[in-house]
Amino acid sequence: MKKPDNVYLNRFPWVARFQEGWAIYRQNLLGRIGLALLVMFGLMALCSFIPPLIDPMYEPMIGVDPEVLCSTYPSARHWLGTDFMGRDILSQLLAGARVAFMVGVSAAFMSIVLGTAIGLIAGYMGRFIDTLLMRLADMIMVMPTLLVVLILAALFGQLNIWTIVLIIALFRWPGVSRVIRAQTLTLKQRPFIEAAKVAGASHMRIIFRHIMPNVLPLAFLYMTFRVTSAIIIEAALAFLGFGDPSTVSWGMMLQWVWKTGHMFKAPYWLLPPGICISLITLSFYMLGRAMDEVLDPRLRNEEQAG
Amino acid sequence: MSFGRGFFNAMELWKYIGRRLIQIVVIFFVILTVLFLLFRLAPGDPVSRMVDPDMTPEDAELLISQLGLDQPLGVQYVYYLKNFITGNFGESFNYGEPVINIIWDRLPNTILLFTTAIILSALAGIFLGKIASWHKGEKTDNVLTVAALAAHTVFLPWLGLILIWVFAYKLDWFPITGMLSEDVWLDPDVGMLTKFLDILHHMVLPLTTLFLIHFGSYLLIMRSSMLDTLKEDYILTARAKGLGEKVIRNHHAAPNAALPVVTSVGLSLAFSINGGALTETVFTWPGIGRELVMSVSQNDYPLAQASFLLIAIVVLFSNLVVDILYAYLDPRIRY
Amino acid sequence: MILIHSVAGKYFIRPICISVLFLMCIIGSDFSGSEANAADNLKIGLLQEPKTLNIWMAGDKWSGRVLSLMYQRLYIRDPDTLKLIPWLAEKDPVYDESTISFTVKLRPAKWSDGSEFTSEDVAFTGRLINEFKIPRYRARWKFIKRIETPDKHTVRFYLEKPMAIFSTRTLTSPIIQKKEWAQVAEEARKSEKPLTTLQNCRIEKPVGTGPFILKEWRQGAFLFLQKNKHFFAAGQKISDRMLGPYINGIIFKFFGTSDAAILALRKGTIDMFWWGIQPGYLEELEKDPDIKLFSNERSALYYWGFNIRRPPFNDVKLRQAIATLIDKDFIVSRILQGHGTQMNSVIPPGNKFWLCRDLHLYGKGDKKEERVKKAHKILKDAGYTWDVSPVNEQGEVVKGKGIRLPSGELMRKFAILTPPANYDPLRAMSGVIIQEWLKETGIPASAKPMSLGALLQKVKSQHDFDAFILGYGRLDIDPDWLRKFFCSREDRKRGGNKSGYHNPDFDRIADESAATMDREKRRDLIWEMQKIIVRDVPYIPLYTPDLIEAARKDKFSGWVETLEGIGNLWSFCELKPE
Repeated sequence: MKKPDNVYLNRFPWVARFQEGWAIYRQNLLGRIGLALLVMFGLMALCSFIPPLIDPMYEPMIGVDPEVLCSTYPSARHWLGTDFMGRDILSQLLAGARVAFMVGVSAAFMSIVLGTAIGLIAGYMGRFIDTLLMRLADMIMVMPTLLVVLILAALFGQLNIWTIVLIIALFRWPGVSRVIRAQTLTLKQRPFIEAAKVAGASHMRIIFRHIMPNVLPLAFLYMTFRVTSAIIIEAALAFLGFGDPSTVSWGMMLQWVWKTGHMFKAPYWLLPPGICISLITLSFYMLGRAMDEVLDPRLRNEEQAG
Repeated sequence: MSFGRGFFNAMELWKYIGRRLIQIVVIFFVILTVLFLLFRLAPGDPVSRMVDPDMTPEDAELLISQLGLDQPLGVQYVYYLKNFITGNFGESFNYGEPVINIIWDRLPNTILLFTTAIILSALAGIFLGKIASWHKGEKTDNVLTVAALAAHTVFLPWLGLILIWVFAYKLDWFPITGMLSEDVWLDPDVGMLTKFLDILHHMVLPLTTLFLIHFGSYLLIMRSSMLDTLKEDYILTARAKGLGEKVIRNHHAAPNAALPVVTSVGLSLAFSINGGALTETVFTWPGIGRELVMSVSQNDYPLAQASFLLIAIVVLFSNLVVDILYAYLDPRIRY
Repeated sequence: MILIHSVAGKYFIRPICISVLFLMCIIGSDFSGSEANAADNLKIGLLQEPKTLNIWMAGDKWSGRVLSLMYQRLYIRDPDTLKLIPWLAEKDPVYDESTISFTVKLRPAKWSDGSEFTSEDVAFTGRLINEFKIPRYRARWKFIKRIETPDKHTVRFYLEKPMAIFSTRTLTSPIIQKKEWAQVAEEARKSEKPLTTLQNCRIEKPVGTGPFILKEWRQGAFLFLQKNKHFFAAGQKISDRMLGPYINGIIFKFFGTSDAAILALRKGTIDMFWWGIQPGYLEELEKDPDIKLFSNERSALYYWGFNIRRPPFNDVKLRQAIATLIDKDFIVSRILQGHGTQMNSVIPPGNKFWLCRDLHLYGKGDKKEERVKKAHKILKDAGYTWDVSPVNEQGEVVKGKGIRLPSGELMRKFAILTPPANYDPLRAMSGVIIQEWLKETGIPASAKPMSLGALLQKVKSQHDFDAFILGYGRLDIDPDWLRKFFCSREDRKRGGNKSGYHNPDFDRIADESAATMDREKRRDLIWEMQKIIVRDVPYIPLYTPDLIEAARKDKFSGWVETLEGIGNLWSFCELKPE
C-alpha cells in the first residue's frame, strides 16, 4: 500500500489512517464476512423499491393480491409466500431492510453526534460540567432502554418511527460520550493543543479543528455497536406491539406472525424476519470487532503517549 | 462506572459506599419525578380506553375523580410522594388490588427464572471461555467463538418462538406457555417434588432462550480475560515452579480471569432485563417484566410505575455492588 | 460436570442453589388441594386471566364471564327466542301505569352460603348502585326513585318516569348479597374515595346464586369453580330446559396466546376454548374428529364513522356516495372469508326483533361499475367536480382523480383511522380496501393504522379526525344504545356520539322511544330511527363477524348455541359428561 506524502499526512491525517486501517481490516475474516453481509442487506434495502413498481400487489403495507386472502406457501408469484392478509412477504422483508438501516443508522448517527458533542465538552471543560455530564451519562446508561422506550411508547400512544429513533438515540449516547471524553482528556494535554491555545485560538476552534478529527474514528467505531442496539430495540418494540403501525419492519412482521396465530403454520413467514434481524446484528457486530482491532493498537499507543 | 480504584482501608470503602448510596437516592428521586410527569402529561388515561357503551361520560368522570386524576398536578405530585415514602404504591387501575400485592406475587417468578438463567450462562461462559482460550486459534476456539457470537446476536423473541415451535409444538416435549399445569397443582395427592418438577418442566424453554442469549458474551469475555491473565507474571512464576499446565489453568489463572465475567453480569444488567421482559412475554411467564409490558399497554399507571421503579432500584443497586466489587478487588486483578 | 473454578463461584454457588429452592418453596407454598381432579370437571381455556372477582370493578370480559356463573340476575334471555324470561324472578314483572311502578315476584332461592335470597338483597343492590354511582350500572338505575320490599319475595320499583329499558337493562343487572356487601359498603362510605374503595375491595369467595362457586384461584395458572349445591334452578325445568348443572366443576386455564389454547384443545388438555377462533385455524380443526365447531352470530357492529362536524363530511351527499362505493359483499366474502354477515343497519342482523328490514340499501348487489356510476351521479348532482372524472363522457368507468368540493376547491387528503393490524386484522384490512375504492373515484383517502388508545383519544376526546373504522364487539339486545350513538346531547367529550350527528327529529323520536313501555309501539319508533340513520349516514355499518368456537366432543356434550356463542349460562347448566 503506497503511503501518501507527509504533507498530506498532516493536513488530512485521516486519509492515511483510513487506508492503513483498510489494509488491516481486509485481512480480518470476521470483518470480511460482516461487510459482505452488510452489503447484501444494503442491496435488499435498495431493491425494496422495485416490487411495488412491478405490480401494486407487491406493496408491503397495503398490497393485496386479489386472488390470495390468507397466508400461503411460497409460489412463483410470491417467492416467500403471503401473510395473513395476502401481502407479499418478500416485499415486506425488503422493506424491513430499508427500515432497519434507516432506524439503525439514524439512531446511531444521532447518538454519536450527541455523544461526541457531550464527550468533547465534558472532556474539554472538565470539573463541574464534566462531573455533571458524566453523572447524567451514568444514570442513563444503566436504564434498560427497551423498558424506557416501552413506557414512552405506550404513554404517548402512537409513536412515529422517527420519534422512536430519537428516543433510542437519547438513551444510547452515554456509552459513546465516555470514550470520547477519555480520548479528549488525553488529547487535551498534547503539545499541539497547547500551541493552539497560545496562538489565541478560541475553545470552539480548538475543539472542532484539532480535537474532533482525532476523535472521530473512535466515534465511528462505536457507531457500529449503536446501530446494532438501535435495530434490536426497534425490533423488540415492534414485536411487543408498540412500534409504528404504518411501517413494515422485521419486528413488526414477527409480531404479525405471532399474533395472528400463524406461528406454527407458516415457517416461511416466521423464519425470514428473525434470520434477518439476527444476521444484520451479527454483521454489524463483526464489522465492529474488526474495526476494533484496526483502531485498538493505535488507541493504546496514543493513550500511553499522552 | 469507575474502574479500578483500590482502597487502602475499610474506612475509605465505607465512605465510597456512602457517597454512592446518596447518589442512588438522588437518581431514584429524579426517576420518580420524571415517571410521574410522564404518566400525567401523556395523552390518554386509563378511562379513555374503556369503550363500553354502558359507560357514560358521567361514569368516566366519576372514575377519573375517584382515581385522583382530575386534581391539579401539584396536588397529585404531593400525594404521590407522600404515598411513596409511606410505602403505599397505590392500587392498580386494572386489578383493583394494591400494587404491592401484585408485584409481590410476580416477583418470585421473575427472580427464579432470571437468576437461574444468569447463573447457568455465567458458569457455562466461564467454563467454555476457558477452554476456548486454551485452544486459541484452533478449531475448538473458532467453533466456540462463532457459536458465541451467533448465539449472542440472535433476536431473542424470535429464538423463543422458534424454540416453542420446535420443542413444544412439533416435538411436544415441553408445554407451550405458562409456569404451572393446573392438573398437577390441583391434585391434592401430588407431592412437593412433583410440583417442583412441574415448574422446572415449564422453565426449560424460557431458561434455554435466556441462556443462549447470554452465555455468548460471557464466553468471549472469559476468553479474552483468560488470554490476558495467562500473560501475567505470576503465571510465569507458577510455571517456573514446575506446576502442571492443568493446575495452573484451573487453579491460578481461571479464578482470576473469571472475575470480569462476574462484573460484566452486573454491567450488562440492563440488557439482561430487556431480555427478561421479552422472554416472559413470549412464554407467558407470570413475572414482573410481563406485568410491566401489559400494564403499560393498558395505561395502568400505578402498576407500571411501581414495576419500573422496582427494576430501576435493582439496576442501581447491582451497579453499586459491581462497583464495590471492582473497587475492593482491584489490587488483585488487572482488567 | 461443570467444574466450578472461579473464586466467586466457590463462595456463591451453594447459597444460590439454596435460594433458588427456597424461591420455589415460596411459589409452591400457598397451595391447597381440593377434589378438583374429578374426571367430570369441565376444562375451559381463556385467553387472559380474569382481573378481579369484585363485580363492581370487573370491566374486562374475562372477569365478567367467570362472575356471570356466580352472580345471577332477575331475568335473562332465552337462548332461542332471545326473549326475557324470569330467572331469579318467578314471573314477568307487573307494570302499574298510575304509579309508574313494577312489581317483581321472586323465586325461592338460596345464596351459596346457605342463607335465603330475599327482596332485601335486590333492594340493597339497587340502592348500592345508586348511592355509589357505580359505573356501567348507574345509567340503568338512576331513574329508580324508590325500591320497596312489601315481603321477602316481592320487590316493587318506583320509577321517576316511564323508561323502556327498565325491563331489559335494569332487571338484567346482577344481584349481590346484602350480607356479603353491607360491611364493605359501610367502610367505603366512610373512606375518602367511596367508589374506589368499593371497587378495590378484595372479594375472595364471592357469594352468589349461580350454578357454581369459586373454590380456588391460583393467580397466573388457573381458576377452579365448583358446583353450587344451593343453586336455585338445579333440577328444574325452565324454558323447556332441564337444568343441572351436571358437571362437578369448571377449571379455567389461562393461555397468553390463541396458539397455545388451540393446541391444548387438540391435545385434550382443555375441553373448550372460550374465544372466537380465527379462520386460519379452521382447516386443521375441521379435520379433527374429536372437535366440534360451532358458528354463531354475534351482536356486534363494525362500522365506518364520519366526523360530521367539519368538511368534507359535513355534506350528507358525500357520505351517501361513499356508502354506495363500499362493497360489503366483498368485505364479507374476501376479508372475513365468508364468516360473517354484512350489515345495513347499525342494529346487528341477529337482533331479529328490533332490526328494521325495510331500509334503503346503498348499491347493494351492484358490481363495481354500477357503484361508481351511482356514486358519481350522487356527487355530480350535488355539485362535485373532478380533475379526471371517474365516469367519462362515454359513460365508461375510468380511474378518477382529484375530486373537487362544490365550492371548487380540491378535497383535502384525509385519513381513515383504523386499529393496528395485529389488534384487528379485519378492520385494518377493510380500511385498506376501502381506501383503494375511494382513491379510484378520485377521493383522496388513506388508511392509517393507529394504536387503539391513540385512536380513541382522537375520536372520542379530541374529536379530531375525519373517518374511522371501529367496532362494538358486544351490543345489548335492547337498542337503547341508539340514543347514545346519535342523540345530539351525546356529542361531547367522551360521549357516545362520535360523529357529531345533530338531528332534532331523531332526538325527539329517540326520547319518545325511551319512554314507550309498549314493545310493539317502541319497535315502530326504533324502526323510524334506523331509517333516519340510514338516510343521513353518520355511520356506515359494515359487517358483523361470525363467532366460531370449538369444543371437544369426547367428554362433554350439550352445548347450547345462541347469539354470542356457546359460552353461556345455559350451556354450563345443561352440559353432561359422556
